[in-house]
Amino acid sequence: MKVRSFDELRTNGRRQSSSTLDAARHIARDLAARLTRTGFTARLARAATPDAAHALACFACRDPRDLPIESLQVDPAIHTALHRAGLATIAALADRPRAPLAARFGRDVPTLLARLLEEEDARITPRRHVPAIVTERRYAEPMMTTGPLLGVIGELAGEAVALLDSRGEGGRRFGAALFRVDGHVARLSVETGTATRDTATIARLFAERIDSLADPLDPGFGYDCFRFVVLHAEPLGSDQRALEGEDAVARTPDIAPLLDRLAVRFGSESVRRFVPRDQHFPEYAATTHPARRVSARFDWPAPEPGEPPLRPLTLFDPPQPIIVLAQVPDGPPRRFSWRGDQHRVALAEGPERLAYPWWRHPEGEGPTRDYYRVEDEHGRRFWLFRHGLYEERAAPDWYIHGLFA
Amino acid sequence: MSGEAPRYAELAAATNFSFLRGASHAADMVRAAILLGHSGIGIADRNTVAGVVRAPAALRDLREAHPELADFRLIVGARLAFTDGTPDLIAYPMTRHGWGRLTRLLTTGNLRAQKGDCILHLADLEAHHEDLAIIAMPGADAALLARLSATFADRLWLGAGMPRAGRDARFLARQQRLATRARGPLIALNDALYATPDSRPLHDILTAIREKTTVPAAGRRLAANAERHLKPAAEMARLFAHAPHAIAGTQAFLARIAFTLDQLAYEYPHEPVPPGYTPQGWLTELVWSEFARQWGDTRPDLKALLDDELRIVGDANYAAYFLTVHDIVRFAQGAGILCQGRGSAANSAICYVLGITAVDPAKHNLLFSRFISPERKEPPDIDVDFEHERREEVMQYIYKRYGRHRAGIAATVIHYRPRSAVREVGKALGLTEDITQRLSATVWGSYASTYDRDRCVEGGLDPDNRDIARVNRFVQQILQFPRHLSQHVGGFILTQDRLDETVPIHNGAMKDRTFIEWDKDDIDTLGLMKVDVLALGMLTCIRKAFDLIHPDESPPVRAEPVEALSCLLPRRYTLANIPDDAPDVFDMLCKGDSIGVFQIESRAQINMLPRLRPREFYDLAIQVAIVRPGPIQGDMVHPYLRRRQGRERAEFPSPKPPHDPDELRNVLGKTLGVPLFQEQAMRLAIVAADFTPAEANRLRRAMATFRNLGQMENFEEKLVGGMTARGYDRDFAQRCFRQIEGFGSYGFPESHAIAFARLVWVSSYIKCRYPAAFAAALLNSQPMGFYAPAQIVRDARAHDVEVRPIDVNQSHWDNSLEPADPATPALRLGFRQITGFREEWGRAITAAAPFASVEQLARRAALPPRALTLLADADALRSIGLDRREALWEARRTPPDELPLFAAANARELGDEPHVALPQMELGEHVAADYQTTRLSLKAHPMTFLRSLFDGEGVTPCAHLHTLKGGERVKVAGVVLVRQRPGEGKAIFITIEDEDGIANIVLWERTFEAQRRAVMGARLMLVEGEVQKSPEGVIHVMASRVHDRSGELGRLSTTHRTRAQLSRADTFKHPQHPRNLRVLPRSRDFH
Repeated sequence: MKVRSFDELRTNGRRQSSSTLDAARHIARDLAARLTRTGFTARLARAATPDAAHALACFACRDPRDLPIESLQVDPAIHTALHRAGLATIAALADRPRAPLAARFGRDVPTLLARLLEEEDARITPRRHVPAIVTERRYAEPMMTTGPLLGVIGELAGEAVALLDSRGEGGRRFGAALFRVDGHVARLSVETGTATRDTATIARLFAERIDSLADPLDPGFGYDCFRFVVLHAEPLGSDQRALEGEDAVARTPDIAPLLDRLAVRFGSESVRRFVPRDQHFPEYAATTHPARRVSARFDWPAPEPGEPPLRPLTLFDPPQPIIVLAQVPDGPPRRFSWRGDQHRVALAEGPERLAYPWWRHPEGEGPTRDYYRVEDEHGRRFWLFRHGLYEERAAPDWYIHGLFA
Repeated sequence: MSGEAPRYAELAAATNFSFLRGASHAADMVRAAILLGHSGIGIADRNTVAGVVRAPAALRDLREAHPELADFRLIVGARLAFTDGTPDLIAYPMTRHGWGRLTRLLTTGNLRAQKGDCILHLADLEAHHEDLAIIAMPGADAALLARLSATFADRLWLGAGMPRAGRDARFLARQQRLATRARGPLIALNDALYATPDSRPLHDILTAIREKTTVPAAGRRLAANAERHLKPAAEMARLFAHAPHAIAGTQAFLARIAFTLDQLAYEYPHEPVPPGYTPQGWLTELVWSEFARQWGDTRPDLKALLDDELRIVGDANYAAYFLTVHDIVRFAQGAGILCQGRGSAANSAICYVLGITAVDPAKHNLLFSRFISPERKEPPDIDVDFEHERREEVMQYIYKRYGRHRAGIAATVIHYRPRSAVREVGKALGLTEDITQRLSATVWGSYASTYDRDRCVEGGLDPDNRDIARVNRFVQQILQFPRHLSQHVGGFILTQDRLDETVPIHNGAMKDRTFIEWDKDDIDTLGLMKVDVLALGMLTCIRKAFDLIHPDESPPVRAEPVEALSCLLPRRYTLANIPDDAPDVFDMLCKGDSIGVFQIESRAQINMLPRLRPREFYDLAIQVAIVRPGPIQGDMVHPYLRRRQGRERAEFPSPKPPHDPDELRNVLGKTLGVPLFQEQAMRLAIVAADFTPAEANRLRRAMATFRNLGQMENFEEKLVGGMTARGYDRDFAQRCFRQIEGFGSYGFPESHAIAFARLVWVSSYIKCRYPAAFAAALLNSQPMGFYAPAQIVRDARAHDVEVRPIDVNQSHWDNSLEPADPATPALRLGFRQITGFREEWGRAITAAAPFASVEQLARRAALPPRALTLLADADALRSIGLDRREALWEARRTPPDELPLFAAANARELGDEPHVALPQMELGEHVAADYQTTRLSLKAHPMTFLRSLFDGEGVTPCAHLHTLKGGERVKVAGVVLVRQRPGEGKAIFITIEDEDGIANIVLWERTFEAQRRAVMGARLMLVEGEVQKSPEGVIHVMASRVHDRSGELGRLSTTHRTRAQLSRADTFKHPQHPRNLRVLPRSRDFH
């Protein structure tokens, strides 16, 4: 066998035309440049088989025969065994009969060897691209008003939905492109919280979208071409229709359509939902997330039957300072004044003692809070706390943190 | 409220034996309760009583200092956590019977579960309810209380807490209603998990570790506040102002509990005493009949000792103990298992006569009364070492003889070690894996008990960083915490009655092993009897050597008389009949030639030998004990050596009159006035510092366990003060104390040193007179000892033993002896040296030998291809005419996935194949392959092939070191054999080896810290430094620079030529078996 130069490219022993070779060189240079720009260090090699190219690149060799036997992708134990036999390079294997090799090191070895030596090629099966759903319509006469526009979008959406249905999928994100006669293109997109195949919903969302555009559509000379795209789809099974009378049974109202509509108008980041967090401190105990990104079910602590709620629904942020008269060290408030009003406490319960999350504080310390639920003589209920124990600070402040409904 | 605080006791106090729940030591809980003015405390850990023994022990110590605490009540029980949804209940035994019920209840739950768990159902409690008082913890509902009330009637209480959870008052009212309905009184408690509120962060850490999460992510699984500490009685009274009877309830409860742990009376098992005898009577009879059988009336000196000892044993009532140990030892001797006793009671004439020890106390002037002091009232102590490969037989015998319900192994409390503590605390604080890895990797070895800043900096971490500092702080707190229970290596506790009525029993990790919840300190505290059945590799080695020396004789069933018959033909050796006097053996030891010898084979010991120059048996005991951190830290080594060499007079500092001026001579006479043994330190405290025996005992306990580290300061004052008051030099007193302190973690008692000295002597004797048998026995007993097979073989060859390679036609599974030309036999390496080879293959080969071809070997010995490959790889087919490479090529031919029989049948079919000319294997490659398969090579030393390279760098061969002058600069290079850092040592010892010799490297800590990577990572090391020579001729190289040259080993074999290979991005690199990677085995490091 001849020693071949690095730049020579062969397939099945046939010399490639020089233009093919140039193309390959060009691709290699381009690839190297792109990788370098992205911050990768690349080492490229070309060969007639992927195995050989890969090995040449990994071991920085020019000739497959110079490769160490580690370039054979087999169990490392076989590498050791080959070394013990004194066979350290691919050349050493290539120059010896293959049958004894197969008998000792498995049938894979001659095959892999042949691939490294570019005598045999393994197939590369390309991964097939799933075509996106695109529906399109052209009109001879441009349209100048919004009404018909929406009608066309609705029709296109209907076609897309039919395609989605045949694939067992539903769309989450849809786009529409409106081509104006003068070349301007208006692009719109809408999103839903759950996968959908409901043409009416999609059409309505586009209507809302067009309505709420900060920069309204200017038909100008009119639109003559429309394209509808499903940008993101998810598997969606068929829905079973509710039986007669089932609707009468009280079902939790589905707020997903409402969320979709609100999100189209205000932006999906602006429609938010409370999510409980596993924290003792009340201001950390809940947070909000974009409504459509979180599932609706949470374990909010259920109020115990017969028990008044431990915490109010909303909190003052920040808590508002109050002046309190209470018994030392941890008696409940007797009287307190808030925003200039005096409140005489009729009923009180507490304290609920919450220690500071020490790991949040650089010094590892912070004031402990004692929370009290109090009811004044008019029956109004307040959530108060003393910021610190008397052991921790001389005169701890008091705050009101919320109101019970 | 009146000024007088009401009496209160916390009856739901957990300790850190409620693993990962309790955040304080038992002693801290007791101390805090006392300081807070409680009238008592109830310790109840979660489904265990493992920690409760520590509380009375702590209370006892406190009472000794503060007699006014006599009224403080301590009760012990357990908090029962059920798996069937029942809320927690706390159970306190009211009587001894109740304790038995509780321990059996816990045993039931333990044995139902895998190791470490306890699966309890409410029905179990009902089945074991007698004499238990129950506190139902908050959460119990009316139905449960009604059910409990039916069983427990007036022994049921209902716990109520004020946890500051927002609705305390209403809960209290509800508990009150429930209590009234269930007719169980209300009892106030705080369910304390720690002693003081500042332990909340630590408790949060423990919670996060338990929940396998981080503190920030643990959320409401963490406690909301820091309330679960012990609160002052007045504060509890204030909190329960609306229910004062709940406070009073604690006192009523205490009054109902009559049980204390002192009531656990111990009874020896009856089996070893035949009917009709008292233990003392039977011991006396046994001793005299053995004496008459072995010596007739030739030994009046021994007889006198026996008379004396039997009287002491009778007075102290220890006979049953000796008989129990004797029973076990007799079984071992009957089964031909070598054993030897050690410990305070083992150096007695009784043990000698009964064959428990081979040390003749009359000959070595050992006085039993020196080891056992009746006034100290400590239980006698005999540990028995057995051959490590056969100890299991002894353990099974014990189980069989006493039954599993009466014999159990003690527990070992596994504490947090620095590495595990750093890892888990770091994880709990949310540090990433790589940071905790780095943090824990910077802790040296597993014995470091401190964590220091410099390590941190060296690891590239900022010790002042908030998170790192936190890790540090919590690690310090958690370091002494128990983590889980494990079984002790061999401490058996045997009882006459059911063991599970004294202590709960757990399932061990090993099948068929059960262990009790208490560790050896607890057993000591409670005065239970324990026999240590330990495994010792050297005994296995010695027995195998005896077998090799006299292969035809079966081991004697009983220890034979020493003097009698000694003139007859070569007679099988025993531990007892190895001659006591053999100058050639002492000569060998004086040269420091002790590789493989028991206890004195480490580098430091080898260096000490030429300086100590042992000439008699007792010298060996000193040699064993002197190279220990105790004497080293106490600066006792050099004074002793100077006195021994006559360069300094043995002085005995005397106290002022009227004290006995010779009081120290009596204690320290045998060691020339220098305290070297633990017992001497104890005696010193009693004699010279006026310690009471009880105080000395406390000192010993404080020394033995680091948990009492704080107490040592008090003892320092007392000891140094006591000695100076008696007129001793303050400096001398301080040195005495420092040594006692050094004993803390590494104390070495004379009673053990003497027993070990016998094994030192026996192994030295064999090594000196039968070097081939010794090397073979050592190799056959691996893993044991300090040295790897390569060094053992090298040492044997240095003693003119011919070592022959492994060969299928000659070798056995074990290493064996073959007749050779001169008187000494040759050592034939066995198949066991081949890493990964199986014993059954080896036996099959021996049975089917000889072989003329690989096919024959495969067929006749029915070997699988893997075995053939290993044999070929080990170059064991030379007698068939195949070298390693050819053999491998042949062996590989049998396809690996076929059964050997079919493979052989197909052999002819495979017969014709084209000739494959394989290249010749170079010697260097052979050596590398030898090391890879058998961890040693008889062909050459790896350094041989690198010599020319190192010559070029001006490296001196190790064997030429002695030609250099002290102080001369030198470079040496070699394979790393051992790295050592004795104790808290300031120096690191490294031994390297080249083709002709070894060199001992010493590194000061500072040099080490600067070059830690090279020192710790190198397999092949180049050291630059200075030659140091001691007057005794010991040569060291004081290292100034260390280079890791492991890369050079790649030159030996092409396998390890390093290549710039890029890994595939899409494949995970599986770690390879080390055999395929390493050229040299790892050194044996003892940090």
